[in-house]
Amino acid sequence: MNLGSDLHTETVLQASPLQPVCVQIDTPVRSALERLQEIGRSAVLVCEGDRLVGIFTERDALRLLASDGDLNAPIREFMASNPVTVRQTDSVETAISKMSSNGYRRLPIVDDRGRPTGLLDASGLIHWLVDHFPSAVYNLPPVAKPAMHQREGP
Amino acid sequence: MTVCPDCGHENIEGEEFCAVCEQPLVEVAGPQCSTEVERRLLLHPIRRLNPREPVLVAPNTPVGEVLRKLVDQHIGCAVVVSDHKVVGIFTERDVLLKLNVRAAELRDHPVSEFMTAKVETLELDDRIAFALHKMDVGGYRHIPILRDGRVIGIISVRRILNYIAGALGRETPAGQGNDAGNKAP
Repeated sequence: MNLGSDLHTETVLQASPLQPVCVQIDTPVRSALERLQEIGRSAVLVCEGDRLVGIFTERDALRLLASDGDLNAPIREFMASNPVTVRQTDSVETAISKMSSNGYRRLPIVDDRGRPTGLLDASGLIHWLVDHFPSAVYNLPPVAKPAMHQREGP
Repeated sequence: MTVCPDCGHENIEGEEFCAVCEQPLVEVAGPQCSTEVERRLLLHPIRRLNPREPVLVAPNTPVGEVLRKLVDQHIGCAVVVSDHKVVGIFTERDVLLKLNVRAAELRDHPVSEFMTAKVETLELDDRIAFALHKMDVGGYRHIPILRDGRVIGIISVRRILNYIAGALGRETPAGQGNDAGNKAP
């Protein structure tokens, strides 16, 4: 297995993208929060019609909740608009670069009409990397610490 | 020379076991780390990631105060320490899954009610591959880094991806006959 070339040739679909969870832009932020708790996810995609216009993540939720914001206000007031996205055909390498240079942990996957088809998160990319080192990462000893720090004897 | 995948010790070529940690070396002998990404993950210690300073809070800190700290310090998690020992971790995910719309009414409750008590930790000299493995298996996004039992830093999944991304520009697509990725840093 060659990690270098797989990074270029494998697409984001191989990096365990999640099914998109979408809400409409005028949804009260309270119901989006409750939905996230119910399904145990950390981000919703915000759509206008079927087109992606924003993303609301646990970071946005933290800011809102720390400042006692109005939970009945629409989600558009708290979401990040026009999120950086990837296409289904983009490579794993492109996804890592986009995530890294923008400091995001999630990238919505959109089709050519801007409709969300998935959500790629950092955990999916980590899993992809681990998967591509089966011998190296899976065979790590159970404890990271060395058995002994010094050579035995004088 | 054969680099031990566990502790990074540079052993004499042909050794079967690492002279420092006694891990078997036989499987790692031979061509390894054909790319810079692999090299970074498998050989580099966590200290290369420059773990950022952790936000430390006591178990009885009101959770509302912890939320403000996370926002103000632009960090996704706080490490809960008691007597210099890590007793828990409280992350953005806990905010969403445990506080959620009740954040305002629960704000005076101690953070210990909402933290995750089981915390995986690593040390500065552990390989980045260990962090990757723990994050993948446990689904963690933050790992506190200890020295002498005390938390001195925190690494995030994002920090690891950034470190890997730093190697991407140096990768050579397979079949171009260039071994640039093999050079030592």
